Amino acid sequence: MNDLKSTSIFTNLTRRQLLAGSAALSAATMFPIAAWADGSRLNVRAYLEPDDYDPLDASGFLEELLYGCIYRKLIQYVPGEEWNWQLDLAETIEQTSPTTIAFTLKEGQMWSDGFGEITAEDVKFSMDRHMVEENNSRIKPDLGTFTHVEVTGRHSGIIHMERPFAPIWTIALPYLAGTIICKEAVEAAGGKITTAIPPAVSGPYRVVEHRLGERWVLERNPDFSGEAADFERVDLIVVVDDSAAEIAKEAGDVDFTSIGAGSVQRLRDNPPAGAQMTVHPALFYHWVGLNMQNPKFEDIRVRQAIMHAIDVPSIMQAAFFDVAEPSTGIIAPGLIGHRPETQIPPQADFARARELLDEAGIDRLEINIDVLNNVTHTTTAQVMQAMMAQAGIDLNISVHESGSFWSLGVASDGDRWKDLELTIKRFSMTPDPYYATAWFVSDQIGDWNWEQFSNEEFDRLHDEALSETDPAIRDEMYRRMQDLMEESGAYRFLTHGVTANLFADSVAPATRPDGQPLVQFFRRA
Amino acid sequence: MLQYAFQRVLLALAIIVVAISALFTIMITLPGDPTTVLLGPRATPELRAEFRANMGLDDPLLVQIANFWGRILSGDMGTDYNRNRPVAEAVFSALPHTMALVFGAIVWSATLGIMLGAFSADNRNSWLDRVSGILSVGFIAAPSFVVALYSLLLFSVTLRWFPTIGAGEPGDLGSRLYHLALPSFAIGLAWVGYVARIVRASMLETLGENYIRTARAFGLTRRKVIYNYALRVAILPAVQVLGVGIGGMLSSAVFAEIVFSRPGIGSLIYDSVSGRNYPVVMGSMLVAIGFFVTCALIADLVNAALDPRQRVK
Repeated sequence: MNDLKSTSIFTNLTRRQLLAGSAALSAATMFPIAAWADGSRLNVRAYLEPDDYDPLDASGFLEELLYGCIYRKLIQYVPGEEWNWQLDLAETIEQTSPTTIAFTLKEGQMWSDGFGEITAEDVKFSMDRHMVEENNSRIKPDLGTFTHVEVTGRHSGIIHMERPFAPIWTIALPYLAGTIICKEAVEAAGGKITTAIPPAVSGPYRVVEHRLGERWVLERNPDFSGEAADFERVDLIVVVDDSAAEIAKEAGDVDFTSIGAGSVQRLRDNPPAGAQMTVHPALFYHWVGLNMQNPKFEDIRVRQAIMHAIDVPSIMQAAFFDVAEPSTGIIAPGLIGHRPETQIPPQADFARARELLDEAGIDRLEINIDVLNNVTHTTTAQVMQAMMAQAGIDLNISVHESGSFWSLGVASDGDRWKDLELTIKRFSMTPDPYYATAWFVSDQIGDWNWEQFSNEEFDRLHDEALSETDPAIRDEMYRRMQDLMEESGAYRFLTHGVTANLFADSVAPATRPDGQPLVQFFRRA
Repeated sequence: MLQYAFQRVLLALAIIVVAISALFTIMITLPGDPTTVLLGPRATPELRAEFRANMGLDDPLLVQIANFWGRILSGDMGTDYNRNRPVAEAVFSALPHTMALVFGAIVWSATLGIMLGAFSADNRNSWLDRVSGILSVGFIAAPSFVVALYSLLLFSVTLRWFPTIGAGEPGDLGSRLYHLALPSFAIGLAWVGYVARIVRASMLETLGENYIRTARAFGLTRRKVIYNYALRVAILPAVQVLGVGIGGMLSSAVFAEIVFSRPGIGSLIYDSVSGRNYPVVMGSMLVAIGFFVTCALIADLVNAALDPRQRVK
């Protein structure tokens, strides 16, 4: 019976019908592609999963990627090449005294889901909760000397600080700690946002779904008070591997992704069709650190010899694919405190290194370096190993996985921190120099100051620069701090690296000067 | 059969308890302070101390192991302190993706491997057999992540047949299968080689058995003898290998999940180990080991059901 049925279907099919059917089938299979290609959907790669629902638990830029889409702040970073901020919820905001900032909110800015207008009470609730001990805010240090917000009217208030805190304009207000959430909605939810779909949002998008380990699905927020977002739907897709992300971009499955430095030259030589690449100087800083308290390095001539034997340009070529520039310190170009040059040139001087070792009475020096198991840092160590041999320094390389590596210099995790010799590290950074110097004060020894660098002048300058509001004086202070670091012989600054982005022609991306995406400002090209 | 099954289940439980306890010990003794890794540089010392206390990290090792099993027996896998959510939520949302991936790989490896093995045996010592042998060894030798990357380049970027990332739309079976095809193929390809070699060897042995000669003597067609009689027996060792091979497939799943950006137990374990997120590591390892042991158990029981000699042994 079945045979008869199938025979009747297929034997009665003419060639014309077959062609028509094929065409219809092709059209049907094209339909989802066509819907995809109309530009109403934006797929942005996230290199790890943003997984903290509440700003109290936020740990870094990944959360900012999400919060930037769904929440607003008093001020926000301006997309472009220079670090600056623009008004967002605030209609006016100004420093009225060294310890106070007065603001007024734009009227008629609304929360979603019927939670009404955004008021100064929401600003107070959002910022003050970071100071409550029981809330265990992970980003409380970003607020520095902030104490509280005083509400002076429905749309106005004053931000109070214990003492002047310059980074409030560069880190606290336009970044994670400045995220404003809805007091009424969050209090009704028990005081904390514990669900992927927040009770109320205010940004251009709202959360539809969080597919754990895979993606955040956002859609245009109909209650957004600003100019409506260009995209109906935005997916923040978790793609951990750079190569996989690049392939996904080539296949059209993501519209915007960061890519590895290793791909930059290839894509410059062979630009992909329908896509563009931008390369931005990053804020991170990579450096070779040396534990000053290790008996091997008591003599400053030994430390300086090691620094002279590290050839930064070779490292740039081999480990950073010649797309990154050698750095002059821990503060990137464009930020207050950036130094124009280092005291020791980036090029190695093996003769000088040998001379210093001879002066210190050392014929052959055997030292160890601990590195993270990523290609960039292991290659850096290998280049160093090859180069340093020319100065009579034998370098042994120990490679660690991340969990083990990041506790090497931590006093609470055994005695390894005391015996450390050399390490290669990369720290993340925010657009204020205090965030760079904070890890090298004496209090950080046994924590993040693995070089065990301790300098009274450095500590004092770090403290004073926090309260200094004159940019020129701050600039001078941070330059001096990096001079002190270099003079110690414990630091060889490598690079800030680059952030390279690859995106579809159909997208007009918006990024910070360091190349990090501000998805809330993305538009169709 | 019942007694055999009971013994196997007891053994499986013992394996789970020993494996998890050993892993717990290794993990706790590994260098790497979870408060440093999980909370990042901005965490205050007070927050770190509270975090350690909440995780029970200050307790002696044996107490931590006992507490872990106590919680598991009461149905609580603990809390993912990094995300402030129950571990079970993370693990059980990832598990179906990994199970689908592994079963997809089994389907690929069993289907292609058995076909290739039977074809080789049927054409033994011919040039076709030799080509099949080379292909099988090639599949075994190719690392899963290389297969994954080249599959992506060929089938997704060049031919645009399959998507590169994700697990598909929830609730849409077609989309799920469409997103599953390539990653499961990447994992299953190596096992195609193993299965083909095993099926070929087993088939050649079976073809020499008396009952096959008898079947031929009765005038049954060659095709019927090979595919209806010999193959049924010849695939038994392959079932056993695939059962044990699930452990290897779970390892390959880590790469496949990272390369294809799929959620799953593999990537969850990888992230949690790097981040020293102990509760999630233990919860996901418990489920992964449980999954592996269950599959091996099922393979044993299926084998015993198909071949009574196994039960006697």
